[in-house]
Amino acid sequence: MKFQIEEITVYFPYDHIYPEQYSYMLDLKRALDAKGHCLLEMPTGTGKTIALLSLITSYSLSKPQTPIKLLYCTRTVHEMEKTLAELRLLYTYQVKHLGESAQILAIGLSSRKNLCVNPNVVSGSTRDSVDAGCRKRTASWVRELASTNPNIETCQFFDNFDRMGSDNYVLPAGVYTLQDLRSFGKEKGWCPYYLARRMVRLANVVVYSYQYLLDPKVSGIISQEMQRECVVVFDEAHNIDNVCIEALSVSVRRQTLEGATRNLSKMAQEIDRLKATDAGRLRAEYNRLVDGLAQRGNLPITDAWLSNPALPDDILKEAVPGNIRKSEHFLSVLRRLVQYLKGRLETENVEKEGPVSFVASINAQAGIDQKMMKFFYDRLHSLMLTLEITDTDEFLHIQTICDFATLVGTYTRGFSIIIEPFDERMPHIPDPVLQLSCHDASLAIKPVFDRFQSVVITSGTLSPIDLYPRLLNFHPVISRSFTMSLTRDCICPMVLTRGSDQLPVSTKFDMRSDPGVVRNYGRLLLEMAAAVPDGIVCFFVSYSYMDGIVNSWNEVGILQEIMQHKLVFIETQDVVETTLALDNYRRACDCGRGAIFFSVARGKVAEGIDFDRHYGRLVIMYGVPFQYTLSRILLARLEYLRETFQIKEGDFLTFDALRQAAQCVGRVIRSKADYGMMIFADKRYSRHDKRSKLPGWILSHLRDAHLNLSTDMALHIAREFLRKMAQPYDKAGSSGKKTLLSQEDLEKLGDRDPADMLF
Amino acid sequence: MATRQVVVRCNYKTTVKDPGVKGVLIMMEDRIIFTPNDPTSVKLTIGLESVHKHLFNRKGNHKEALLNLILDTAINGGRCIFEFENFSERDVCWEFISKFLTNKLQSKKSCRKDPKPVSEIFSAEQLSTAEMDFRMKLLEENNELQKLHKQFVLSGVLSESEFWVTRKELLSTDASKALKQRVGFKSAMITDINPVPDGRSNKVTFNLTPEIIDQIFAEKPAVHKAYLKFVPYKFLEVEFWRKYCRAKYLYKESNVAAVVAAADDDEVIASFFKGDETVANDSRRKLRRVDPTLDMEADQGDDYMHRDESKGAIDLKCDEYNLSHNLNRHAAVVLQGRAEHVALGNTWTVAEALSRSKQAGLDESATQAARMEMVYRMVAIEDLQDPHHKLPFAPLSIKDPRQYYDFQHANAVRNVGDAEFSTKPISHDLNTQHTWGSLKNLISDMRENGFSDPVVRPDVALKVLKDLTQHHSSTKYHIIGKSPQENILDRLENKKEVLHHSASTQELLKHFWSSYPITTSYHFTKVSRLIDAMSEIYLKLQGIKESVQSDFRHQISQLVQPMLHALDAAFGHYDTHTQNRGLGKTQ
Repeated sequence: MKFQIEEITVYFPYDHIYPEQYSYMLDLKRALDAKGHCLLEMPTGTGKTIALLSLITSYSLSKPQTPIKLLYCTRTVHEMEKTLAELRLLYTYQVKHLGESAQILAIGLSSRKNLCVNPNVVSGSTRDSVDAGCRKRTASWVRELASTNPNIETCQFFDNFDRMGSDNYVLPAGVYTLQDLRSFGKEKGWCPYYLARRMVRLANVVVYSYQYLLDPKVSGIISQEMQRECVVVFDEAHNIDNVCIEALSVSVRRQTLEGATRNLSKMAQEIDRLKATDAGRLRAEYNRLVDGLAQRGNLPITDAWLSNPALPDDILKEAVPGNIRKSEHFLSVLRRLVQYLKGRLETENVEKEGPVSFVASINAQAGIDQKMMKFFYDRLHSLMLTLEITDTDEFLHIQTICDFATLVGTYTRGFSIIIEPFDERMPHIPDPVLQLSCHDASLAIKPVFDRFQSVVITSGTLSPIDLYPRLLNFHPVISRSFTMSLTRDCICPMVLTRGSDQLPVSTKFDMRSDPGVVRNYGRLLLEMAAAVPDGIVCFFVSYSYMDGIVNSWNEVGILQEIMQHKLVFIETQDVVETTLALDNYRRACDCGRGAIFFSVARGKVAEGIDFDRHYGRLVIMYGVPFQYTLSRILLARLEYLRETFQIKEGDFLTFDALRQAAQCVGRVIRSKADYGMMIFADKRYSRHDKRSKLPGWILSHLRDAHLNLSTDMALHIAREFLRKMAQPYDKAGSSGKKTLLSQEDLEKLGDRDPADMLF
Repeated sequence: MATRQVVVRCNYKTTVKDPGVKGVLIMMEDRIIFTPNDPTSVKLTIGLESVHKHLFNRKGNHKEALLNLILDTAINGGRCIFEFENFSERDVCWEFISKFLTNKLQSKKSCRKDPKPVSEIFSAEQLSTAEMDFRMKLLEENNELQKLHKQFVLSGVLSESEFWVTRKELLSTDASKALKQRVGFKSAMITDINPVPDGRSNKVTFNLTPEIIDQIFAEKPAVHKAYLKFVPYKFLEVEFWRKYCRAKYLYKESNVAAVVAAADDDEVIASFFKGDETVANDSRRKLRRVDPTLDMEADQGDDYMHRDESKGAIDLKCDEYNLSHNLNRHAAVVLQGRAEHVALGNTWTVAEALSRSKQAGLDESATQAARMEMVYRMVAIEDLQDPHHKLPFAPLSIKDPRQYYDFQHANAVRNVGDAEFSTKPISHDLNTQHTWGSLKNLISDMRENGFSDPVVRPDVALKVLKDLTQHHSSTKYHIIGKSPQENILDRLENKKEVLHHSASTQELLKHFWSSYPITTSYHFTKVSRLIDAMSEIYLKLQGIKESVQSDFRHQISQLVQPMLHALDAAFGHYDTHTQNRGLGKTQ
């Protein structure tokens, strides 16, 4: 369908539209007009992604003189695939209706591991080995050597790509998923990774992972060339603060330091060798460093290092401090740093320090000052380039150390350094770790807000919505939370507080291992498995809890009984196995008898896998997924939040747990035609302070009668609900409000917000 | 054949219900002698020449082992039944007689110097008991078939194989149906083959059934591989499983140290715990087929934040007993189902079959396009699309077709009536009820509204009416009449007989026409046999026709006429053919 939102003609690939999608587009459009940032919460299953994509592409189509570019960031690669699939749907529709003029170029970008087509390289098991394998074949000096020495292996895909004058080439218009890029690359014999990298500049829509914008180590090379006229979208952004924090956190262990020492001696050997053979190269590097880091931009694409955008521009132009310009000097400084860190790790007690005092003590004991440390990251990479090191995966340890040093040297607040001699949970095993943990999510995202005209942060769960601007330190022009208008009550949240024996259930620390609670939880699943058709998903608070409870269920035989009804799959820490388990789970659901999936809140599955339609008719959230509250890092962060933003510890913890819970249960709904039940199985959910943190669209369906249920009552409600959902209904919404708008409805509506009016 | 005789104890019966006379049966090369235990009863001697057929009943729990011999009608009322004490004895006797019968046939045929059909018959007679059972079952299930079988096969018009050859599809489809439904693995996990302690000593006993072994192989590739590697080259099967159970037991007693120690000692036990390269490869290969929107492995490639957390080497020693791993593995195996049907029991064949099916599994691969197609289907929001947009519709399932079509007619008629006196001349092709209904509607409409306009031209109307009455009256009594009361068949006393005759005519005609062109004397005799049987039926049909009262006779003759016609045609064909043949011979 095609309709007007103010002066924009929006092309929407479906025949109907939900009113909330329309309102969502309206708000988004206003934010784009204002060239400001916005924060939009819309329930899952209301077609956020397609609304967003179709508005932004239509916006760009209707203003051809100032085209805007869309940078769409997803949490995971599989979400990237989903987004690109929706975009293709939209693109086909737009091209059909507008013809040539609607043609755009949209690509997904991922790492070499996901894009490489060279069989010798991609066989590497980890990302780092693939990256190293690629560098080994494509680094400029390797290719130079290969031109004289035929025994040196290069990558024919990159060679072809380079030969055809890649600078002028533009991919034909269309939407390219990772698979499409790979197939295209294979067909043409070109390297898809570098092709995609090259196309990022020209594409109208780029879909990639959060990290390509947020992680300073990556964003420098990938996102450097993006102009200001970009709309950046962070989808499923409820965890964005955690991503930001992780991006700037480094942990150093004993192994890291030992590895770093090995790296240093290897580099020292290389330097000695080079001095003997090609001293000129070292001198050239020295000169370059005198001129400043900004020179780096002229390097060929394959040599470009992950640079450090956290550094302000003036530093980039500044010359590298004299005492680390010479490579052997730099190495000895690094040695001193590693030695110092080793000493700090030998502690008996937990130590916590701010960056300022840490830097001061380094300066006192190792003689390395703060300004020097700021340059470590770039200095190291310059050195590695000079030494022509290609097996970068071997040098990860020293890179970690330099990351650490640069971060400590750059920031004076928002960080703390925590040294723990052993893991709190296993006090008898010494495992010292030094963690530089970032507490301030706004640090990593600041360059993004500064650089791009519009940043859209959107998710199904952003409640309370006023917290995010504070955490991320920005000022949205529009910040809004949408409710969901439902044709029928297709979601049925319940709070289960008691088991079938009427005793309270909870995952509270003192209750979680109580056999009564374990049994009650098991009976709940067993009875639900017998009553609910198709898929059931269970979320547990942690891996260890899940393993424990599943094992006890197995011992008392509940698991066997459950298996009489449905097949059971489980998430493990091994992603390959989990992926296969998920695939099998879907197939089992397709077979008709349904299956059960055990998963972990905050795990990989909870983060981005949909359990819509028959893949999930019931979600059981066992317990409240609080973070591990004794963790030093969390405590430090809570302290920082309290001091800086006046957010109470308890409030933040509850907020964080409940957004995870909401995220888990929100995975069941995909559209208004879909339906699903959600059981919050913990007595603590019945308390108002916890419950009220759930997003509005869940709360509005949580009836008072469903707040304090036992297993038998929940079973009864479930049966009733399923029977009700099986009845035919009018999709457009029968009485009162309309829940599905057609083109005529929209024309009648004019520019008003459908949420404000009654039909 | 060497002189051979069979002596068994059995009951002699004249009918199945008969309690029978106990005695001893002696089977000799040329005759069967039954000597009753009670000397007052009659001693029975049957020459084997007079045996035409021998039938037997199926094996069952509560069934007697029976052997039914069909004899020349002159002897002993045409049949005699022996009941044996058990099935094996019966089978011995059955075999004995069948050997004799085939010999007899062979010698007969060889006299005629026509070896080809002999071999046919020979092979047909060598049916396996399973096939025999299956045929029996078919006959039991299908009453009509049984009747036909009785009528033709037992009376010798058709041989057993001739009878079944036209029903091949019946045999084969059922066979494939039987194959289609395979028994999968149990959805409950064999968590542990539970050891049974014997109470007094420190011994425990494990019970492994073939099913459990099959499941162990499927779910634990390491054990499977070890089995293929070591059995029987290095150990006996029992030895292998003893080792397996020992490892299992040690683990169950949570004596991990002991397991590790045992594994160090014994390469077999060690191999149970070894992670397998092929498993990893297998999962990697499977991963390529996974829906990209589920592929979490790809995320790792994009995750620049956790670069230091290189996956710690998973402790393989415990991997085998990791519950989560087992759960997933089990569910996957159940979902996959048994790849091919192998009789359980022989462990080695089971193990072999499993590895074969794994090999076969390697070949199949979902195309990328299909995967992407799936993603797009998943991504689309259904209820935003208009319903006419290729929405999948549920196929119509009609339980009672007659009711459904009646209902549809009513609808159609209503529609015609609604169409406000359509000026189109009513097509003659419309079926009777339809036209009749619409006419009725039109008339009732006219009654209500008056004749506003002569929309239907009188001559057309008359013609339609004429056609209609004629058509109606003629079809009214058709066999498949609409309502049961109108059906002439149902009013006939000898309905069953007529139906049976119809079925037998069909059967005979089928055989008759399939024997042409007559190329061998075998066909020739068959045809002559058929002609005899057909003329018999012909006469019977005539008899039926004449027996009914005169007012029925017309309808009955309508009913019977097609059969008679068909038979006439067959007779005609036969006559001309024999004449031609005669001519050909004289020439």
